[in-house]
Amino acid sequence: MSFDVPEDLRYLESHEWVRVDDGTARVGITDFAQDELGDVVFVELPDEGEELTAGDEFGVVESIKAVSDVYAPVSGTVTGVNEALFDDPELVNEDPFGEGWMVELELADEDELDALLSPDAYRDQIA
Amino acid sequence: MKYDQARWTDDGDERYEPLLSEKANREVEVEDSPLPDDLTRDSLELPDPAEPELARHYTRLSQMNYGVENGPFPLGSCTMKYNPSFTEDVSRRAEAAVHPDRPDSTVQGTLALCHRLQDYLGRIGGMDAVTLQPPAGAAGEFTGIQIAKAYHQHNDDERSEVVIPDSAHGTNFATAAMAGYDVVELPSGDDGRVDPEALEAAVGEETAALMLTNPNTLGLFERDIERIADVVHDAGGLLYYDGANLNALLGRARPGDMGFDVMHYNVHKTFATPHGGGGPGAGPVGVTDELAQFLPDPHVQSSKGGYEYYTPDHSIGKVHGFYGNWPVLLKTFAYVTRLGDAGLADASAKAVLNANYLAEQIPYEVPFGPFHHEFVASASPQDAADAAKRMLDHGVHPPTTKWPEIVDEALMTEPTEAESKRSLDQLAAAFSAVHDEDDETLASAPERTAAGRIDQVEAARNPRLSWQALDSET
Amino acid sequence: MSERDVSPTGSPYAPHTPAETAAMLDAIGVDDVEALFDVPDAVAFDGDFGIDAHGERETRREAVRLLRRNDDLTEFLGRGHYDHYVPSVVDDLSKRSEFLTSYTQYQPEVAQGFLQALFEYQSMLVELTGLGVANCSMYDAATALGEAATLSQRVRSVSGDRILVPEHLRDGKRAVLENYADGPDLSVESYPMADGQADVDALAETADEDVAMVYAETPSVRGVVAERLADVGDVTDDHDALFCLGSDPVALSLLERPADVGADVVVGDAASLGIGTAYGFGLGMFVTREEYLRQVPGRLVGASDDADGRRAYTLTLQTREQHIRKERATSNICTNQAWVALRTAMHAAWLGPQGLVDLAEECVTRARDLAAELDDVVGLQAPVHDGHHFREFVAHTDQPARAVVEDLAARGYAVHAVDEHLIQVCTTEVTAAEEEAFVEAVAEVAA
Repeated sequence: MSFDVPEDLRYLESHEWVRVDDGTARVGITDFAQDELGDVVFVELPDEGEELTAGDEFGVVESIKAVSDVYAPVSGTVTGVNEALFDDPELVNEDPFGEGWMVELELADEDELDALLSPDAYRDQIA
Repeated sequence: MKYDQARWTDDGDERYEPLLSEKANREVEVEDSPLPDDLTRDSLELPDPAEPELARHYTRLSQMNYGVENGPFPLGSCTMKYNPSFTEDVSRRAEAAVHPDRPDSTVQGTLALCHRLQDYLGRIGGMDAVTLQPPAGAAGEFTGIQIAKAYHQHNDDERSEVVIPDSAHGTNFATAAMAGYDVVELPSGDDGRVDPEALEAAVGEETAALMLTNPNTLGLFERDIERIADVVHDAGGLLYYDGANLNALLGRARPGDMGFDVMHYNVHKTFATPHGGGGPGAGPVGVTDELAQFLPDPHVQSSKGGYEYYTPDHSIGKVHGFYGNWPVLLKTFAYVTRLGDAGLADASAKAVLNANYLAEQIPYEVPFGPFHHEFVASASPQDAADAAKRMLDHGVHPPTTKWPEIVDEALMTEPTEAESKRSLDQLAAAFSAVHDEDDETLASAPERTAAGRIDQVEAARNPRLSWQALDSET
Repeated sequence: MSERDVSPTGSPYAPHTPAETAAMLDAIGVDDVEALFDVPDAVAFDGDFGIDAHGERETRREAVRLLRRNDDLTEFLGRGHYDHYVPSVVDDLSKRSEFLTSYTQYQPEVAQGFLQALFEYQSMLVELTGLGVANCSMYDAATALGEAATLSQRVRSVSGDRILVPEHLRDGKRAVLENYADGPDLSVESYPMADGQADVDALAETADEDVAMVYAETPSVRGVVAERLADVGDVTDDHDALFCLGSDPVALSLLERPADVGADVVVGDAASLGIGTAYGFGLGMFVTREEYLRQVPGRLVGASDDADGRRAYTLTLQTREQHIRKERATSNICTNQAWVALRTAMHAAWLGPQGLVDLAEECVTRARDLAAELDDVVGLQAPVHDGHHFREFVAHTDQPARAVVEDLAARGYAVHAVDEHLIQVCTTEVTAAEEEAFVEAVAEVAA
């Protein structure tokens, strides 16, 4: 089975992705991660304004039989939360890199991005 | 063997009908009550069936439910053995129906029976003192870990960690956390057992206890138990025995002799008290002499010409508001008294025989051994949950699925001593039939049960936990 | 019979004949079942327990022989464990083996019956309390209270570690709460009672931002119906604390709805319906607000659909529970009191709404009338507390309470000694026919 690993993103070993656009980092979980979890039934996300440090647990994704923490790939202040997931958690399954995004952070330190996995490195990890 | 479960439905009407009767709920006004109006509710709306309707409703519901008397129930870790009928009668004796606020002197029969059961359980587990108060296995774990905590505090030796193998029941982890401990998870060795060297690395001066199930959830005896006990004791920790699998060892080995300091008994597993659709059970806790001073309050002891309650010197306090699940303890007493030494030993022998025989007869691989009363087969490449659903159509209850995770697509199977050879052969035939079926058939199972495959995702995404929640939808 | 292995060396509940046992051993490839035990010699047990086997009839006789040592007393006892008449139909139906011998409903397709019964139980509690979510059981009232205290830690937005409980509280309930409070380092403190119910002014004075939960009861342990619960709700609101209310399903059939006085959690013993006197064997009721759904301890049954689109029931939101979330679970509870919940729901349905209201009203009038009759007895004043009572009340005795209790026991009655000169008397429809004789007996011993 092959999983989508978009070229324009950076990844964490724990299966989060981050997309940076003009100082804002959008974060979600990967196609591989959503497939491992199965049908997502519940998503818990932080409040706007919360300060996250890279590596912090910031949310929880639940399926029927599993619970998974979600980690911040980079440090920053939460500026946006995808509230659509509260009513439609299945967006995480259907469109993990698009409408299934979780939070947006105001990036504190761009250099942190260098420590993240490239698409190729992440692809190797899940192969 | 095929099986069609009754399926009572109300096809013509999408609306939920609470009691499958002609009558829906009835709302009554609360008025002219002996209390002032501002202290009373306005109305009450509940089902209002006449007794014949009530009887039919619950009889129909029972027909849509599978119990031990319906057929094989090889649910691993749960020990679904036959529950002797007569123990129900014993538990319902009018003489046993006493109030917990009675003075000791007026309930000497109850205390005598409790004292006898404490003694029996002590002998069976090799423990010096036993409390009957914990109302379930997990409550027993909580009691045992609170006792361990009290012991360390008593020695001015506060500790912060409890070590638990990764194959342990989820309750162990939750119990340690409830008692305020950090959990140190111990990875299983390649043979499915505790690796003593990994254990040595994991324990230290913060270790309050190691919680261990033996035989473990793979049915394997922890052969290194002596060394395990030494490692934990040398670090100043206590050894806790999870009694979930004690039914494998009756008369062959005792936790007390293996070096365990504190243990719980699952009477609804080992001693055949019925599971009741999830409970009640009881989880008596046994301890060594040294720990007896920390037992819950109160404890029964013999006194001049009778029995009395007393508070152990450094009691942890209480874990149940009264004296625990008394009717369940009565059933336990009846079962142990009925079987005695020979019967208990034979129960374990036949449980182990049955598991080993069944494992020989099924086409699925069993990766670890030698196992005792249960084994964990791998359904791979089939999906274990799907295979289980299909077994329902073959007239048997399936094994526990997808746990422990150490086995891929686990089918955790515990036939118990209550199954005959013929029944085990039928059970094996069900495993074989399912083994040979294609994924599509498995995925669409079950089809002969009261309900088809239930949409778990919908239940969780859109929780509706009462009539009221269903009503507010429409 | 002859072939079956029913000698004194066997379990009567293992069906194997010797021939079958031999065939099975042969299939496994061992000579002796002992070869299947992988127990090192050093820890093997070669002794015996010294427990004799008995026939079924002898076992019953032995149990009854012991139990007959219990004195045959008419009990006017309550304080959290109550005797209401349980109809035979509840006993018969609940004993059906499909219910009694089934397991937790992890295969819901073959457990629709029990699941629906538990769903009905949950729904009944939702109606009785006005709160949105009931779980399908804790062990008893005390452990449910303990779970409520830990819930307060998970849902309260401001941290606080004080759990306030009434000064008059069953010792056992408080002792259990202390154990649950030990892990999360909560401090259990008393607030004063005024005339058998919460002294709300004193409560308001002691309450502060560190209060995580306030517990109150109606009726109180002394049988007094609380009159200022809404004020307790205001105090907890002021400090962002949880309001946990203790009651039982019979009382809730008549008393104001917990949701209407601001309760956040309702706990108590629901086995006051369905069980009767059983030495404290109970059923922990746990009902709370829908917003705390993800933090609820214990099992929840939800509605869904099956593959054919029919209504079906299943355990749901299991990711809260220990078998999935392990050390981060909302509780360690696994085995619960499901079968007791089944009986409670059956009993409630048997009574119906009018029957429940009538029973609850009888609990008020019977306590009131018995107290009045005892008040006429020389040497006894009842009730000690003003206000309305439910099932039970406290009476003052001129004689030492212990002596009164002992003298009554000698006459065949059990009451509870609260204090040096206080006794507690509880009555329900079960003791109704004995009340008159009881009053006469009290008259003989109280003067």
